[in-house]
Amino acid sequence: MKLLFTLLIVLFSFITGLLHAQTTVSGVVLDSKKNPIPGANIYLDGTYDGTTSTMDGTFSFTTEETGTQKLLVSYIAFVTYEYVAEVSQMNKLTIILKEEINTLTGVTLTAGTFEAGDNAKVTALKPLDIVTTAGAVGDVVGALQTLPGTSTVSEDGRLFVRGGEADETQIFIDGVRVFTPYNASPNNSPTRGRYSPFLFNGTTFSTGGYSAEYGEALSSVLLLSTINEPDQERTDISIMSLGAGLGNTQIFGKNSVSVNLGYMNLRPYLELFPDRNEWDKPYQIGSGEAVYRHKFTNGLLKFYSAFDYTNFAVKQRDINYENRTSFELTNQNFYNNISYKGSLKNDWILSTGAGLSYSKNKYDIYTDMAEGIDQQNISYHLKVDLKKRFNKHLKLNTGVEYFSSNYDQDYENDNNIAYATKVTKELPVTFAETDIFFTNNLALKAGIRGSYDSVSDRFLLAPRTSLAYKTGTNSQVSLAYGDFYQTVSDNYLQYAGSLKPQRAQHYIANYQYVKGGQIFRSELYYKNYADLVKYSGDEAAFNSTYNNNGYGYASGLDIFWRDEKTFKNMDYWVSYSYMDTKRDYRNYEAEVMPSFAADHNFSLVTKYWIESLKSQFGFTYSFTSGRPYDDPNSNQFMAGKTKSYNNLGLNWSYLIDQQKILFISFTNPLGFKNVSGYQYADAPNSNGIYERMTVRPNADSFVFIGFFWTISNDKKTNQLDNL
Amino acid sequence: MKQVIAFLALFISMSSIAQSTYEKGMNKGFKLWGEGKSLEASNVFERISNVEKENWIPLYYVAQINILDGFTIKEKTELELKLEKVKTALDKAKALSPNNPELMVLEALYNTVWIAFDGATYGMTLGAPTTEIYKKALELAPDNPRVVYCYAEWNMGMASYFGKDTTPYCQEVKKAIELFSTFKNETPFYPSWGKDRAEQIYNSCNK
Repeated sequence: MKLLFTLLIVLFSFITGLLHAQTTVSGVVLDSKKNPIPGANIYLDGTYDGTTSTMDGTFSFTTEETGTQKLLVSYIAFVTYEYVAEVSQMNKLTIILKEEINTLTGVTLTAGTFEAGDNAKVTALKPLDIVTTAGAVGDVVGALQTLPGTSTVSEDGRLFVRGGEADETQIFIDGVRVFTPYNASPNNSPTRGRYSPFLFNGTTFSTGGYSAEYGEALSSVLLLSTINEPDQERTDISIMSLGAGLGNTQIFGKNSVSVNLGYMNLRPYLELFPDRNEWDKPYQIGSGEAVYRHKFTNGLLKFYSAFDYTNFAVKQRDINYENRTSFELTNQNFYNNISYKGSLKNDWILSTGAGLSYSKNKYDIYTDMAEGIDQQNISYHLKVDLKKRFNKHLKLNTGVEYFSSNYDQDYENDNNIAYATKVTKELPVTFAETDIFFTNNLALKAGIRGSYDSVSDRFLLAPRTSLAYKTGTNSQVSLAYGDFYQTVSDNYLQYAGSLKPQRAQHYIANYQYVKGGQIFRSELYYKNYADLVKYSGDEAAFNSTYNNNGYGYASGLDIFWRDEKTFKNMDYWVSYSYMDTKRDYRNYEAEVMPSFAADHNFSLVTKYWIESLKSQFGFTYSFTSGRPYDDPNSNQFMAGKTKSYNNLGLNWSYLIDQQKILFISFTNPLGFKNVSGYQYADAPNSNGIYERMTVRPNADSFVFIGFFWTISNDKKTNQLDNL
Repeated sequence: MKQVIAFLALFISMSSIAQSTYEKGMNKGFKLWGEGKSLEASNVFERISNVEKENWIPLYYVAQINILDGFTIKEKTELELKLEKVKTALDKAKALSPNNPELMVLEALYNTVWIAFDGATYGMTLGAPTTEIYKKALELAPDNPRVVYCYAEWNMGMASYFGKDTTPYCQEVKKAIELFSTFKNETPFYPSWGKDRAEQIYNSCNK
């Protein structure tokens, strides 16, 4: 027994002795260009033994471990290096660390895209910018019009991108199409986006060359994502010069509900500041929105529902009639969007959504006769999308979707003419796209979109691809190409019956430089249009003939510069677009520049925060060179050009206290007399001359005052991020 | 019997070696940190966390060191990389020790680094969630001095940003200072920082 005990003691001291026998592990850590990496963590796996590399990349430490061990060398943004060998062999090692394919520092596929959101790597616009841009007055679309690639069409208000018509831009909420994104508005009054920016925390605006996941848009897509999880329960009250709003968010367990109600009426404002219209019924809009969210263990369900009702009756001047013509519109719009996003087995991510839209317009028009038009549109979009990141090099995105649209119109006038038209469109689509990151400096996106167009009974294939190469730590170049199809609008199809989808091809070259608080982007593009709709007659009517023989092109240069670093508390951005575009479509006599396009577009947006005044001041200036119009007195088609457009927006947000904000916005305070175009008489006068009338904005200037009050538990949140 | 004693002795001496290795390692990390070698210190704690796979404490210090470093960084990419490290460590630690108020404090400080870096971008999006984190931590551990003091400092920061009176939070800081002297946790190397800073703030309150 004693013997055993002694043996054990001996054995034990032998072990401890072994533990104290030291070996030195040493070497140097370098990157692939043989530059030393200081600060790397070098250690034997599963032990406490290790060290940190010094300034020249060298390291040395002693260990009591023996035999075969695993040496690990790790450093952030590099692939961890493993070396298995006898400890005694681990000296004077040269270790080369490979750069990790890294989403933080690597190349990004960005051609044509502006992102605003927390997750976007390069954010040209921040979520807040959508709503703090002076002149935009809280309109998502208004803020985007300060980005290059867009043209200001002041009498319309919708997004016109790179020589495309407004309906060539499609808007998606949580991946699901919005069928009627704009509010109804009278002639010559800019419309606004229907959906309040309060609900969104991410915006991606692509001016071309976008992913195969999106289609039915010849020019551009705007992707909005709703807030995933509200952080707290709150009530928002807004009192504005135009109306009032009330919002409330409740959270219960894994569920939350947000409700927004709003009502606006222009009557009081118009009493104070009459505009060029005679209003029989001033513009009024009542709207309600609700979002319900439910969190599952592996996913999130969102149910968004919105309803609004718009009504107005207005008398406007028309060169063809001695008296003002009257126009009354009642619009009812109902939109539902249900989406689920969650992770499945094997790292697949499933996104699925359904959008249902019901829109009803009732027009009562009186010129020299009374006309009544009833339009009704019921549309839906279903989508299932699967994404997977196989490894750091390969991502896949694939899915199927289905668009369906049913349009009905009833027309009636007091000359006893009445007819009904109807358009049904069905469009099944499938798409697949892959992102390949070859290295941290080179990436490729390649995708294809296949669809069946029920209107023309055609199968369409649209390839999309983009390539990005990082030229330096802060800069990269990208190239993109894509084919885009869009079904012809209901306005034509209701009379034409069957027409081919219109087609566009995009070629884009982009250079981007991003460095701490400064972004520079320039983008050259060429866009080719084919199969555009042409028709005969003065307007697209039931007796016109229709074909797909239209064509056109747009090319140009877009430049964007944002700087929030140079001046303290000040943030500004500058956009400039040069565009050369012509098209022969509609009832055009020749290939000319269309009336919504301009050679030059410029915007300057600045924001300045003055701490002592607890105020943010905003200033926006926009300039658009003259736009073409057709003068029937001249032989040349569309040869006239309006004078250039100038606008200034000022705003002031004043933080009364942590939960109360006063917001004042003044558009065009200098009273620039802008001209949207000219309306010529349908027939010449007795001297054989077509008389004309200048089309001006309904109001030159606009003032908005609002008071916003938030009531929340923590008494700190306010609606500053809503302004 | 003697055999048993011998084995026990062996076992105890072996395990005491292991114990002391942990202590030695942790102390080495604190020593380096004290000398201003935060990168080396963070590496030491990271190595320890690689061995002590069930222990959240070394990960806590990896996160804390890199958060404190983060406050001094002015370059976005550099900060992103640094905070990526913090996030990885915090996520691992939270998995080992869910609902840990000490880790919640670090999570709130992680958000605060972003806000300090660019208030216009991150203040609006991270402000309210940070308050929520503190509220939850306070619910779980109303007597934890770091929770009380950090929440008070956060509130003071918000109040001064909005030009409000910060003195109402002085009482909270005072309460935290009292809690620092009574707070006990037997876990070795359990976080114990904060008292000096709390006293500093409290002193400036009375000026």
